Amino acid sequence: MLFRCKNCGGNTVYSPEKGKMYCPHCDGIDSGEIEGAGIRAECVNCGAPLEIKEYNSTCKCEYCGSYIILDERVEGEYRPRMVLPFQIGMKRAVELLKEEFKSRVFTPGTFLAESTLEEMKGMYVPFWLYDYKADINYIGKGTKVRVWTGGDTEYTETSYYRVARNMGIDFRKVPVDASIAMPDDVMDLMEPFDYNASKEFQAEYMSGFYGEIYNEGADSLEERAKRKAENDADVLLKDTLGGYTSLIPERKDICLSRKEANYALLPVWRYIYKYQEKDYPFYVNGQTGKIIGSTPVSRKKVLAYGGTVFAAVWMALSFLIGIMEIL
Amino acid sequence: MRQYVRYFRWIFIVTGILAVVYAGLHLLHSLRTFPERTNEECLTRQRVFDYGDILSEAEEEKLADLIAKRERQTGCDIVLVTLNESLKEYARKKEPYVPYEEFVRVYAEDFYDSNAFGYDRPIGDGVLLVDNWYREEDGRVYTWLSTVGRAEEKYTAAHIDHLLDNVYRYVERDPYRAYKTYINDFYHDMAGGGTFTFYLPYWLPLAVAALSMLIFVVIHWSYKKGSKTVVPTAYVDGSPQMYKREDVFINKIVTKRHIQRSSGGSGGSGGGGGSHGGHHGGGGHSR
Repeated sequence: MLFRCKNCGGNTVYSPEKGKMYCPHCDGIDSGEIEGAGIRAECVNCGAPLEIKEYNSTCKCEYCGSYIILDERVEGEYRPRMVLPFQIGMKRAVELLKEEFKSRVFTPGTFLAESTLEEMKGMYVPFWLYDYKADINYIGKGTKVRVWTGGDTEYTETSYYRVARNMGIDFRKVPVDASIAMPDDVMDLMEPFDYNASKEFQAEYMSGFYGEIYNEGADSLEERAKRKAENDADVLLKDTLGGYTSLIPERKDICLSRKEANYALLPVWRYIYKYQEKDYPFYVNGQTGKIIGSTPVSRKKVLAYGGTVFAAVWMALSFLIGIMEIL
Repeated sequence: MRQYVRYFRWIFIVTGILAVVYAGLHLLHSLRTFPERTNEECLTRQRVFDYGDILSEAEEEKLADLIAKRERQTGCDIVLVTLNESLKEYARKKEPYVPYEEFVRVYAEDFYDSNAFGYDRPIGDGVLLVDNWYREEDGRVYTWLSTVGRAEEKYTAAHIDHLLDNVYRYVERDPYRAYKTYINDFYHDMAGGGTFTFYLPYWLPLAVAALSMLIFVVIHWSYKKGSKTVVPTAYVDGSPQMYKREDVFINKIVTKRHIQRSSGGSGGSGGGGGSHGGHHGGGGHSR
């Protein structure tokens, strides 16, 4: 399908800044109308063949620049339960990246000037959101140690406790990306997303962006979600075990039972900069603006700054010791 | 450049403040002088006695000038004696059973007392270093630092060891530098508290600075992709439910340990009565 402007016939896209459909050709707001295409591999607008990859749910016509949403990949089993619309537009994402590059002291000064932008894509990344009921059982032996002195004798009192906890935690929407193309570590670092801004899926949110269907099913990706939930449960359990000098666990069970897993689309901007023949991909959370990606490092600069640290610490300590000597 | 200054502004400010405080204190300290010397009975104005012919004339003069300045700043006589002769006969005549390592002590105390050194009175506040380059029959070369009055009160065995260690660091290859170190270290020890810093090795600032640099370079050698900003409760619906919470006391064990109290005493350098009745502290090293 394609969203066509009823005023000028151009392709309308979703504008994150306006939060509405927008026609970049005539500046019309909410002027798009769905033009269905059925199952076909040609551009609805110009009829040119589309290059549709295995998991694409939207694609951009290379000839006329229209964003085509593939009907069969946003319906039925591929219809997402929810979508988090982009809240950060392309310009804002670029501004955020530039600010980030400037704040990185050891990024070479020439990086911004000499790097070329190879790719700039707003993408709806498929995620599975898992809900779990966690049942936590802990039994252990805790000690509390108290030391005091009386005369020439030091007393050490060690008290032993039986420690038991039984907790229940409801985890909701633990996210795991279902895109093979997206690096798992980067997608984990993209979190958190604010689900309060999520919407019921409508195809119009996808117009103007790239998108994918889930590449893998919820069952095959569940281990990652479980690990995240277990780690969080473990931290929350530890929060309840304070006050002991030492703890020897005798039994610790964290049982997770899945309540449901929902398919969702979450917004990510991907920028690839090329600098000195090397690609530097950056990912911007399309909702929060959080940036993930490595810039190159000027090793000369690091060494020069390291030299300053050496000199400054040496001088500061020498002065401090000198002052203490005089006093 | 602006980025560089901004990046290091706090470290520059702190270092600058420390430098100013240090310079101020140093200036105040160097301006502090003691009242005029009141010992009228001292037999000599000379302070450098190079009997061992270790120093050049010029070096002797420079050390004498430095001593004159440091004496006013410390209120102590500072004397240096170099020898190159066996003290066995001399010392054993005075103290028949004195061991090899204390020949120099006998000489130092006698020398100090017989010349009536002392800033405030005869055999009063002062310090004397005897460095005998002669290798005694036991194959060792001995050095003694004798302290009297305020110097004796100030100098513990550890202080004497520290000063003599510093002297020995240079004495074989540059005796002038070693004796200059003796005079300056004495001044610093007498002038400053040094209680907190005494046991700090001289290379500590260098080592800490090198370690800081290493950590800094390792941390910044490459950029991380990003950092985790998800809190453990990010995906928790409501708050965790606690169904059971037990902290049941089982038993307790009390153990006792006797604390060994220090019996006191500084050890190391020995005090001693002088031949003319003055009390000396001091300590020696050998090489």
